[in-house]
Amino acid sequence: MSNSVIRFRSALCRGGVLLLATAAPAVAGDGPADPLGSVMWEALRDQYFAGAPVVFDGRVKVMAPTSAEDTRAVPLSVDATALDRVVELVAIADLNPFPLVLRYHPGTASPYIATRIKIQQATAVRGAARTADGVWHVSGVLVDAAGGGCSAPPASYAQKDWADHVGEVQARLWPAGDEGTARLRLRIRHPNDTGLVDGIPAYFIETLSVSAQTAGGSPELARIDSLEPVSENPVFSLDVRPPPDATALILRGRDNQGGEIRATIPMPPPDARPAMSLKAMDPLRSVGQ
Amino acid sequence: MKRLVSTLALTASLAAFSATGALAADGPTSDDLLKSATNTEAVLTYGMGPQAQRFSPLTDLNADSVKKLVPVWSFSFGGEKQRGQEAQPIVYDGTIYVTGSYSRLYAVDARTGHKKWEYNHRLPDGIMPCCDVVNRGAAIYKDKIYFSTLDARLVALNRETGKVVWNKKLAEYKEGYSNTAAPLIVDGKIITGNSGGEFGVIGMVEARDAETGELVWQRPTIEGNMGTLNGKDSTVTGKTNASWPGDMYKTGGGATWLGGTYDPETKTLFFGTGNPAPWNSHLRPGDNLYTSSTLAINPDNGEIKWHYQTTPHDGWDFDGVNEFVSFDLKKDGKVIKAGGKADRNGFFYVIDRNNGKLINASPFVTKITWAKGIDIETGRPIYNDDNRPGAPATGEAHDAKGKSVFSAPAFLGAKNWMPMAYNPQTELFYVPANEWGMDIWNEPITYKKGAAYLGAGFTIKPLYDDYIGALRAVDPKTGKIVWEYKNPAPLWGGVLTTAGNLVFTGTPEGYLKAFDAKSGQEVWKFQTGSGVVGSPVTWKMDGEQYVAVVSGWGGAVPLWGGDVAKLVKDINQGGSLWVFKLPKA
Repeated sequence: MSNSVIRFRSALCRGGVLLLATAAPAVAGDGPADPLGSVMWEALRDQYFAGAPVVFDGRVKVMAPTSAEDTRAVPLSVDATALDRVVELVAIADLNPFPLVLRYHPGTASPYIATRIKIQQATAVRGAARTADGVWHVSGVLVDAAGGGCSAPPASYAQKDWADHVGEVQARLWPAGDEGTARLRLRIRHPNDTGLVDGIPAYFIETLSVSAQTAGGSPELARIDSLEPVSENPVFSLDVRPPPDATALILRGRDNQGGEIRATIPMPPPDARPAMSLKAMDPLRSVGQ
Repeated sequence: MKRLVSTLALTASLAAFSATGALAADGPTSDDLLKSATNTEAVLTYGMGPQAQRFSPLTDLNADSVKKLVPVWSFSFGGEKQRGQEAQPIVYDGTIYVTGSYSRLYAVDARTGHKKWEYNHRLPDGIMPCCDVVNRGAAIYKDKIYFSTLDARLVALNRETGKVVWNKKLAEYKEGYSNTAAPLIVDGKIITGNSGGEFGVIGMVEARDAETGELVWQRPTIEGNMGTLNGKDSTVTGKTNASWPGDMYKTGGGATWLGGTYDPETKTLFFGTGNPAPWNSHLRPGDNLYTSSTLAINPDNGEIKWHYQTTPHDGWDFDGVNEFVSFDLKKDGKVIKAGGKADRNGFFYVIDRNNGKLINASPFVTKITWAKGIDIETGRPIYNDDNRPGAPATGEAHDAKGKSVFSAPAFLGAKNWMPMAYNPQTELFYVPANEWGMDIWNEPITYKKGAAYLGAGFTIKPLYDDYIGALRAVDPKTGKIVWEYKNPAPLWGGVLTTAGNLVFTGTPEGYLKAFDAKSGQEVWKFQTGSGVVGSPVTWKMDGEQYVAVVSGWGGAVPLWGGDVAKLVKDINQGGSLWVFKLPKA
């Protein structure tokens, strides 16, 4: 069973590369068949990649559990570091009421993002990387799940004082490792509510921007456009490249109600060691090949 | 050649189209807002003009043609959230902007009722609105639409998309602050008051930059508190301890919960201030300035020009927030720049708006027990000392309540929040009044942050079996009541008057009604399905005159109305916007 799946993936991988080589200006409405067999694929492709060439490409590695333990916080990472010149990453959960999870503009950062998302039902979960030539490189995995992650009220509402803590940030920056990138992990207190629960308005983080504090200004390092499916109290892991003269990183963000998020993240202490790699150890789990 | 000409014509028409398009997209300017009272194509300000006369120069609808006024569409606010709908719609460029209960804002196509967008503010669990989860309306300026929320924030949204531009905290909701009034925009500043008079807050008037939301000035309404201008301390309000004992000015009340009006002629803001805290007046000897007053404020820096206190040393919750409506008083061949105010305490005041001097004060309800009248020379009430609720017992019998008195008007006021209208053609004010009294007594109280700070008990009673509400036409020259319309349930909605000799107002029984402005004869009514406690507006679109009003019963009466709440308990809740028009013949 396992072997046949691998062969299937390999075939698709070749097909994808072929498409890229020979038919780069692919138009919406045709293109390679979805290796995950999702009923939503064609609609989502037209909606989110409108007209742009799309290939299934195993070099984009998507990590998520085979079966979701908690449908309100399913770990997900998209790693496109095997590709050159990635300008944008997106994450999509096909069968969610809001399929688009986030858009990541890595800027000078490495094209890698990890977070936790809500899953409404068993679905294909995808990562797509747009390279500078305009091609979307897509990969994904199937996540089995019991229902309801997007329409359950956030657990934090059980606490009367939840509103007092909205926008609080926990963050840590590790020193750069062998790959030249420094791991940044952010955790933000926010209900990140989809608005699908009766009588509770949509209330979620929309933008997060990381910039470096330097004597010469504060250049933006990376930006996330976050959406409804990102989990309550979202956690993000990014691999950033702070300039050598950075004295701190600045996180600025806001939610859909104009609520502001602000944090100053100190540079790691001199004796700190780089973070352990969280990169995919088993690339075969990701079906784009 | 022919082809060239047609191309040129096309270019020209495209240019013309984009020019008008750009104008609409830029939105109303400061000047547009100042002149909004005479703009019949739009409703740009709360009060239908900065002076808040709620008068429209339109004449298509008149006491005769109003019979042909028909509903065009109705829009539901949706959700499970109903309660009181007290908003006045804003109408601009074919869109109606209307607020709903629970801090919601809608943009609706004025022609079709199609929803363009909706903003639902996420409220924390601990909000403390005293008198229902209402909102009274939005403000429009340039590309933005603004409204205040029950957790005491001010939100600016792009009026085309409904996306939030900024969201600023006005005050700490956990201390009892909230905000329900429509903001006022003058010369690029957005000016707001605050709510929370039942929780010992300090009343405040604040101006912010309408573009950025950054604070420009703050003016506390209670003497002894420091104002600010451009981020620095400015001046102290009044003179510390001149009319308050000890530290009581620090929790003195005087909330400006109804917002304000603006007079472009004298360049003055007018904000009414609420009741002093606590209600028990024996704890705070003195006039308790500037509670239960009207404050005239310079919009540039927040300095107080003058004040007029309608109920010095208030002991009945005669909250003086009622709107001050600027008008030209034609008397003895002269035109006086005056203002009218129908106070919660039962008197209709006519005040010189240049200097705050009283011109005339007369009752607009049938029974006033707390004062015999107002001394025109001093401007002060002539109290009935017997009618002040007694001090609670002290010492051993500390829990004993003080002497109870029967007092009229009741604390919900001879007129509450619902705005009156002034018609410069009939030269009459149209005042939505209520006839009720209360048993009121004082109880011991100490201040605790975020807890109700009343020190009084009360129960409200109707004065008459057959009616509580009364829409009254008041002649400001004489103080005489020219006509009245009696309504079984208390009136709780705003009033609109037009050059077509009409007066519109709603009733808790569910009707929007129209009256002949001169005679008071009822000439039209429409059942909206729930109580009408909002403020109607009118405008002209595509050559036809429109009227809009929100429907949805609620407000303070069902919550605080005592005996009266029983009378209205069977009125069903709702939440919708109704739009009517007079079709072209």
